[in-house]
Amino acid sequence: MNFLTIFARNLKQGPQTEAFPLGPAFTPERLRGRIEFKAESCEGCRICERVCPANAIRFAKTPDGMTFDCWHNTCVFCGNCEFYCPTDAIHQTNDWDLSHANADKFDMVEHGLIPNQKCADCGATALNTAPMVKNAKPPLSAEEYTELRARCPKCRAKYLKNRKVPA
Amino acid sequence: MGLIPDFKKIATRSPWIYRINAGSCNGCDVEMATTALIPRYDIERLGCQYCGSPKHADIVLISGPLTVRVKDAVLRMYEEIPDPKVTVAVGVCPISGGIFRESYAVLAPIDQYIPIDVNVPGCPPRPQAIIAGVARAIDIWRERL
Repeated sequence: MNFLTIFARNLKQGPQTEAFPLGPAFTPERLRGRIEFKAESCEGCRICERVCPANAIRFAKTPDGMTFDCWHNTCVFCGNCEFYCPTDAIHQTNDWDLSHANADKFDMVEHGLIPNQKCADCGATALNTAPMVKNAKPPLSAEEYTELRARCPKCRAKYLKNRKVPA
Repeated sequence: MGLIPDFKKIATRSPWIYRINAGSCNGCDVEMATTALIPRYDIERLGCQYCGSPKHADIVLISGPLTVRVKDAVLRMYEEIPDPKVTVAVGVCPISGGIFRESYAVLAPIDQYIPIDVNVPGCPPRPQAIIAGVARAIDIWRERL
C-alpha cells in the first residue's frame, strides 16, 4: 500500500520542477549575485581592487574624478570586495540573471564616478570621497560630516585635530 | 514540396544541446548537468535534450577558458556540429578568462576562435541562469533556421 501513499502525496504536492522560464524563480535573499556600487559612500581606499581575485574591479583617475568599473563578465561573485569595504559602498545584490547576447558583452559593467571637488578651506582639487571617520570619538554629527566631506585630505586631518571634544 | 516548411516547424520545437568542456574546472559542467538531469530544473520543458554526438547538436554550451592543450580538439569538435548552430558560453571563463585571465596556458576569451552568440556569466552560473541563456539561444536559433 506504500505506493498508494506516495501516489496520493505526489498528486497533492504537484511537480517539484521550478516554474522558472515560465514563471518566477526562487532566489535566496543573500544569494551572491551582481555587484552594486554606491559612489557617494566610497572612501576611495581601493581595497576592493586589491582583494578582487579575478581583477574585475578597476579604478582609474580621470579629469572628472576617480572612476570605478566592475566587469560582471569577470566577477566571480566571491564577495571579497563587500567583505573588505569599510563603508559598505559595494554591495552584492541577489540578481543572478546576467545572461546576454555576445554583442552586449562590453556593456556588462557597473560604473561609478567619485567626482572632484574644490576644498572648502584651501581650494585645492581633491576627490569628494566619504571621510574615514570610523574611529572618531565621539562620533561625528551630520553637520560635522558634511563639513569634513567638503575638504581635501590634509584639511580633513586638520579639521579632526582641531575638533572640540567635550571632556 | 510543401513539406519543407512543416519540417521546419517541427524541428524548431526541439533543439538538441551539446556540451563542450574547453578546459573547465568542472563547476559549470556540474551546473549544466543539474540543469538538464534533475527534475527541479527540467530543461526538457523547453524541448531541449542533451545529445552525445556533436553531429546531432543544435545548441552548443561551452564551458572553460580554452586551454592551449584542448584548443585543437575543441575547434575540431565545433566544426563537426552542423549549421545552423547557436553557441552559448557558460561561466566567466570562456567570456573573459575569469580568474585564469592572462595565464600562459589559457587562450580566453573564447570568441577569438569560435563565434559566440549568448554569454551566461557566473562562477558557476545558477541553473536558472543557464536556462535563461538557453532560452535566449533558442530564440536566436529559431531566427537562423
